[in-house]
Amino acid sequence: MGSVRAQTTRTFRTKVLLPGGLLAVAAMASLAMLIPGAAAAGHSDSSSVDISPDQVTTKACGTVSVKGVTGSTPNAGNPFLSSNKTCLNGSLISYGNHYITYANPPKAFVDAGRLLFAQACSSCHGSTANGVSPDGTATIGPNLQGVGAATVDFWVSTGRMPAADVKAVEAERKETRLTAVQALELAAWVNSLVPSVPAVPFPHLQGADQSAGQDLFSLNCAACHTIEGSGDALAFGTNAPSIVNKSVTAQQVVEAIRTGPANMPRFSGNLTDKQVADITSYVTGRLQHPVNPGGFSLGGVGPVAEGFVALLIGVGGLALICFWIGERS
Amino acid sequence: MSDADHQPSRTRVPMPMAAMSDPHMSDAAQQPARVEMIIAIVFVLALACFVLFGIAYTQNWDYWTLGGSIGAGLFLLGFGLTAWGKYLMPQGPFVEERHTLRGTQEERDAMSAALVERTAVVVKRRKMLGGLFAAGAAIFGIVALFPLIRSLGPLPANSLEVTDWRRGTVLVDSTGRRVRRDTLVPGGLITVYPEHTVDPRTGFITEDGQAVDQTVLLRLPGGPFTTMPGRETWTPEGYVAYSKLCTHLGCPVGLYEQELELLVCPCHQSMFKVRDGAVPTFGPAPRPLPQLPLMFNDDGDLAAQGPYDQAVGPGFWERTT
Amino acid sequence: MSTTAADTKRSARAAMGPYGHVGKLVDELDDRFGVAKGGRVLLDKIFPDHWSFMLGEIALYSFVVLLATGVFLSLYFVPSTDQVIYHGAYRPLQGQWVSQAYNSTVHISFDVRGGLLVRQMHHWAADIFTGSIIVHMGRIFLTGAFRKPRELNWTIGILMLILAIFEGFIGYSLPDDLISGTGLRIGYSIAESIPFVGSYLVSFLWGGRFPGDIIIPRFYIIHVLIIPLVLLGLIAAHLGLLVRQKHTQFAGEGRTEHNVVGSPMFPTFAAKTTGFLFMVTAVTALLGAFAQINPIWQFGSYDASKISYAVQPDWYMGWLDGALRIMPSWEFAGWGHTIPFEVLLPAVVFPGLIFTIALLWPAIEQRYTGDDQIHNLLDRPRNRPKRTAAGVAMFALLFTLFAASSTDVMANFFHVSLNATLWFFRIAVIVVPIIAGFVTYQLCREMQGVHGIGKRKRAVIVRRSAEGEYTTVPAAPRPDDERTELDPEPVPVRIDIEPLGNGDEVRQPAVSPTGVRQVTR
Repeated sequence: MGSVRAQTTRTFRTKVLLPGGLLAVAAMASLAMLIPGAAAAGHSDSSSVDISPDQVTTKACGTVSVKGVTGSTPNAGNPFLSSNKTCLNGSLISYGNHYITYANPPKAFVDAGRLLFAQACSSCHGSTANGVSPDGTATIGPNLQGVGAATVDFWVSTGRMPAADVKAVEAERKETRLTAVQALELAAWVNSLVPSVPAVPFPHLQGADQSAGQDLFSLNCAACHTIEGSGDALAFGTNAPSIVNKSVTAQQVVEAIRTGPANMPRFSGNLTDKQVADITSYVTGRLQHPVNPGGFSLGGVGPVAEGFVALLIGVGGLALICFWIGERS
Repeated sequence: MSDADHQPSRTRVPMPMAAMSDPHMSDAAQQPARVEMIIAIVFVLALACFVLFGIAYTQNWDYWTLGGSIGAGLFLLGFGLTAWGKYLMPQGPFVEERHTLRGTQEERDAMSAALVERTAVVVKRRKMLGGLFAAGAAIFGIVALFPLIRSLGPLPANSLEVTDWRRGTVLVDSTGRRVRRDTLVPGGLITVYPEHTVDPRTGFITEDGQAVDQTVLLRLPGGPFTTMPGRETWTPEGYVAYSKLCTHLGCPVGLYEQELELLVCPCHQSMFKVRDGAVPTFGPAPRPLPQLPLMFNDDGDLAAQGPYDQAVGPGFWERTT
Repeated sequence: MSTTAADTKRSARAAMGPYGHVGKLVDELDDRFGVAKGGRVLLDKIFPDHWSFMLGEIALYSFVVLLATGVFLSLYFVPSTDQVIYHGAYRPLQGQWVSQAYNSTVHISFDVRGGLLVRQMHHWAADIFTGSIIVHMGRIFLTGAFRKPRELNWTIGILMLILAIFEGFIGYSLPDDLISGTGLRIGYSIAESIPFVGSYLVSFLWGGRFPGDIIIPRFYIIHVLIIPLVLLGLIAAHLGLLVRQKHTQFAGEGRTEHNVVGSPMFPTFAAKTTGFLFMVTAVTALLGAFAQINPIWQFGSYDASKISYAVQPDWYMGWLDGALRIMPSWEFAGWGHTIPFEVLLPAVVFPGLIFTIALLWPAIEQRYTGDDQIHNLLDRPRNRPKRTAAGVAMFALLFTLFAASSTDVMANFFHVSLNATLWFFRIAVIVVPIIAGFVTYQLCREMQGVHGIGKRKRAVIVRRSAEGEYTTVPAAPRPDDERTELDPEPVPVRIDIEPLGNGDEVRQPAVSPTGVRQVTR
């Protein structure tokens, strides 16, 4: 699709309609909070909050699977322990705090998502995304029910899904076949099957502390992604991707941290939203815009590249000068 | 003024001369004026570069100008001087005789005689004296090393073997926060330390702690499991803790691949299977990572059941399994 | 009585003698130190001109650069692991607790004007220093310059190489950043693995448990005082022996075992070598200006529980890292003790063996060839195929190990599994040196056997007869192609471009009191 009209329409939908819609819903929900008895932020409401390991059922938020988030650390990804939370008509709209807002895609996306999923994803994940093919055997793709909107959005918006090579050890980041809105539509539909967390994160990085982020990054992330974020090969054909690649967005960084895609560990209760925002700010603000005051960075590979330059250009260059100065026979 | 008394009348020493076309000059010296001009220009450029460096420094200009100017200036200066030497100075080839280093046999014998026989004067038992002196000097050499080496540090004792983990020691993260039941979800990992051994303000180890205490805590999916026979109670609710020090060379094993359930050491890529007691399956590490037995205490914090059952980290002579 | 000022000047100048101020200076120095005769010997000293003889000068002059830049850095660096809060120009470290050593190094890089340039020059010069030592060592080895009477000089050189490697390792560990701190942890474990003494060695050196807080100050004094002093002494001995025994030279026209042919120390060699000093400094400065090295601010201060992936030591330690990676995990544990062979063999025994062989090589070769003659003429590498092949095989082994230290980077770059890459290197480290040695040997034999190989070929004129038959006729030789041995004859020791001004005649040449003569072409 190359027509400027379609382009403008898509941009309009992504940049105007979607945030506008979410804001409108959030605004309505905030107003609704003024009405007594409606969903309140962060506390139990008139019906009991059932903290079973996997699910929470509340009157206003409906049934939400909180599998995979901590139940005791505040502001660490659990909607029921976040500073802000909005629910409406039995579904969780958004939650979070002033570091990260997690929001589920609008209900309107669900139908489009179902059609899109049938086209693009059901062949590997099953028509109901449960990892079961029509004849009852397991599909090549895993069960997606209960993974949450953020997971779907991450895999699709980074281009890893739809998978190009299903036999590859790991799906690699590539050119996205689907648009950002389409990713959200898929997320909306998958989430509608079993509403889960995390929802799609929207980080607010203005107040984030890059220095704290650097400290956390070096403890938790550098072991796989390298201290400069350039990524590297891991065991048996897997790898940790580069995050200095500028197409890695802040949203994707938060999604990866909170959902633990593929072989990456999943960080929930051990990192609060503030810490995640700090790390994200360091990655997108500093790693992706490295300060190289000393000259060319030689690829950021480290002492091996430096050694080659020292030997070939340094010693080699000086040897050439010797060649000029001295005799040759 | 009175020098005139000492010296004969001084005249120039006649040194023979030859022409520019002499083969001992390089070809470029046939046109000395041109070569001189080129070298002069090179020197002037070098001067300009140095001036530029001076300005760049005082005016605090950008880094590349600062470094490039001094580098270029030095290079031009050196190039000019070398070219001067190569093109305008006599190249030769000149010949110098090597004087034989060795002396005659008589000289050698005289030297050996001097060494041997001078010490034989008067004293009959020089070998005994010499031996005693040598022994004294040797003993001095040995004992002089005692303070140099021994005072450097304490004896290792069991410092390489014993960590600060005891029964009931609570696991905390680098901010001092205690690990609770749901701190990790399945697939998560965190670095933990014994409580009160990390200064939450700085993140550094306190006086009470040691670098060998560092432990990696993971949570595996799929319900209860046992890493090795006899360790059934060590992994409550899917939590498993291993020493973070690689048994190869002590690098922190912070790299975890959750689907492969593999801890990989970033230094030399030893791979440890987490579900089977961190047994090394690839790479140079010789032993599994020691496992810390875990339990939940009455407050719901994750704590150690006891110390590590063996020394952590790389191998050393006194290490027993 | 009333002498004018001009008269006074003229008589003062006359009193100074025909050579003016220089003559007066020579007089004064000669009165005190007796420099006239001996100094003349020095001025007339002959240096052979071959370009490969200048490789050692690269090492010497990069050492000078290291000393100069090192003095600058030592005025700012704080060798302490005490913790401070970073307040400086680099934002991502703002407010973090770091060690004093790290803090002062970042301070040098960002807050001291010219500091980053000097710091980078120092690190580049260190890499060039070790690199040029190895290249120089290779030249000495391949040409047999280590033979009698120069065995001691070879030994001194190998000692300097070992010291240079340690000095570099200690030097880049001083800033106490994450990457070099990891290297220190590995060094600690390697020392710890030595049987009987390992645990004592590390406890003494580190002053207790790892990381402790005394290792950085100790390394500092070793790096700025102890090793440089030893190196300076060894350099003085190395150069002193060179002056005493005179330089070796390749065989060629006029060159025998009993002379040295080349250019004189003053002014030619002095000019060329001083110019080269400036150029070595220039190359270091240009590298420091345009190529970033060791950006420690990106790594953060060292913490024993932090680690980065894809960490390697500096290149001259890379062969050890590669050896550690490919070694299988053979550890012996029994009878109450443990011997970690997977650490001991690659990191202690193997380098010990390499350096011992290197140190003893003159004796080894002398035993093998039975040749104990004095040699002042150099070999061509091709004329000693076994020695050349052995050297190339050793170099190939070390290079393969160096390549093995970046298995993860290679696996990533070539999209191959990490495990497969490691196995590739385990096999390569055995196969590659054997092949390299074998190929080198054959190449040397081939080059020996073909007359005139490496020399300019004579042109061949191809004639075609009317019947179509081709015949070849070699062309006439070019003037320089047929060189024969020439007899040196006494000729002028000095060439003048222009006359001295008072009508001196062209004299017939005299031999210099030091016996230096010219060779005619």
